[in-house]
Amino acid sequence: MNSGERTARFNKLAVEYSRYFKGKIRTIPNVPIHSLKDFSYWYTPGVAEVSMEISRNPEESFNLTGRWNTIGIVTDGTRVLGIGNVGPEAAMPVMEGKAMLFNLLGGVNAIPLPLRTSNKDEFVAAVSALEPSFGGFNLEDIESPKCFFVLKELQEKLSVPAWHDDQLGTACIILAGLINSMRYTGRKAEDSTVTLIGSGAANIAAAHLLIEAGFKPGNLIMVDSKGILDKEREDLDSLMFTNPWKYELALKTNGENRKGPIENAIKGSDIIVSAAKAQPGTIKKEWVSQMNKDSIVFALANPLPEIWPEDALSSGAKIVATGRGDFPNQINNSLVFPGVFRGMLDARSRGVNFKIMVKAAQEIANYVGALQPDKIVPSMDDWELFPQVASTVARAAVDEGYARKIDSREGYLKTARETISLNRTMIEKSMDLGFIKKLPEVKE
Amino acid sequence: MKDTGGTVRKATEADIDQFMSMIMRMKKLNGEFDSLFRVREGDMESIKEYYLRCIKDQENFITLLAVKKDKIMGLLKAEIRERISYEPSREVRIIDLYIMPEFRRKNVGNLLLGGIYEEMKKRGISIITAEFPSLNLIALNFYEKIGYRQVTSVYGKNILDDSPD
Repeated sequence: MNSGERTARFNKLAVEYSRYFKGKIRTIPNVPIHSLKDFSYWYTPGVAEVSMEISRNPEESFNLTGRWNTIGIVTDGTRVLGIGNVGPEAAMPVMEGKAMLFNLLGGVNAIPLPLRTSNKDEFVAAVSALEPSFGGFNLEDIESPKCFFVLKELQEKLSVPAWHDDQLGTACIILAGLINSMRYTGRKAEDSTVTLIGSGAANIAAAHLLIEAGFKPGNLIMVDSKGILDKEREDLDSLMFTNPWKYELALKTNGENRKGPIENAIKGSDIIVSAAKAQPGTIKKEWVSQMNKDSIVFALANPLPEIWPEDALSSGAKIVATGRGDFPNQINNSLVFPGVFRGMLDARSRGVNFKIMVKAAQEIANYVGALQPDKIVPSMDDWELFPQVASTVARAAVDEGYARKIDSREGYLKTARETISLNRTMIEKSMDLGFIKKLPEVKE
Repeated sequence: MKDTGGTVRKATEADIDQFMSMIMRMKKLNGEFDSLFRVREGDMESIKEYYLRCIKDQENFITLLAVKKDKIMGLLKAEIRERISYEPSREVRIIDLYIMPEFRRKNVGNLLLGGIYEEMKKRGISIITAEFPSLNLIALNFYEKIGYRQVTSVYGKNILDDSPD
């Protein structure tokens, strides 16, 4: 089966299975219920007193309800995967899938919430209105630059973390991968030059995170569909209004003030981080050969990387990463968000910032142990990764003054392990006992 | 106040190319705010001639540049207008104030305004006004912050855009 046939097969299975199971997640009670008597405390009359407790102190909602472990997965459906603006209803299968991963890998109760909103203000208002029910929000699949505006406003407004995974999750795993790539090739952040190809949500967040992690702003060069982002480019004036984040990077990156097409940026770079057009050839072999010795190339477009790994390696790259699971070094958000949210929820964090993310990225990098050029990030079946990241993030939330619940690193680690493993055991038992049905046969 | 490290001087005919490039950046930005400000890309020569005239005609126009070493950081172009029914009878109207992105937030705007205030004093003019697209909130905030207030509103439409009824 070639890759086209494989994709067609997965597409067919996805639709058939979805029709059979009718939803990837569900809610079930979390408390023992044996007889009518039990309702007297789980529901009326007793529950009124629980409400009164929370009414007197709304923070008690984290102790007396499931808020502590519940997040909303919010989207407006304007930029779903690679398929674009398909609307909120059509975003649901993706959000359900995300909720499933949150639950399976992080033990988080994640509720998919595609919203019918028509602009950024409505979106911010809707999420803000949902705040009392949740311990955090994962924003997903929102078009750029709207995603920057809504994330900034929500982070300022909410008393729980707002995380846009396409920006922050991706940035975090890129940094983790770069930390290990630099260790392996003997580089330091402050001396390394980076060409970031593509200036969408992921790379704009990545640039900001790299700067927080010690890269010099002047050593980064951003490239978009118009070429190198330089201080004198004509579209800068409109960017100041339409995308202040990109505008800010235009002013502080590219210390040499290089101009022109991609290859002018790549020449003499140590690192490429590309989140651009999913088309091999977007990055040419001869450009990679003009990079510094033992270069690092992250070609992250999906489903097709901007350059095939073997081409980058044969042109002088020492380490190559892609967004795909069938090549080594998959740069995958799923290594980040379950642990990050587990940690933020366990600390009852009020927010998240780049400092916390740098620590999360370092933890992910450290987890790998013995480095190999084809093993710079963990893989998704490294179950222990998630509680480790969680405890680091929770402690970082304490350091940042965001934590409502303070514990030691060991304490947080124990909590995260228990929560994740109990949850996983429940899923496994449900499969064993047939409450989660087996996959049906699908005819070819 | 932050020192820009630069100075203000009058624009000369030799500056015309850079002057034009900044003016066109500014006009294109205006076009982003309102479709009535769509730039006439087809006739750059006439536009250039007009601005050369403005630079030369120092009686009716003030054209200033903020410079740092040999780099031009920004420009200001203003007209001297008669106010025949009002007292005093002349005002200076800023039409274009543009600062290159890399020199923004460095007080270059105030440097240019300082330059034009000097020029106004020399000419005995005390009133200054500035025009910009209503949706340019950055310009609005800039002028309000330094004590300007709204004195006129200009409303407009394209009558060809009117749909019947």
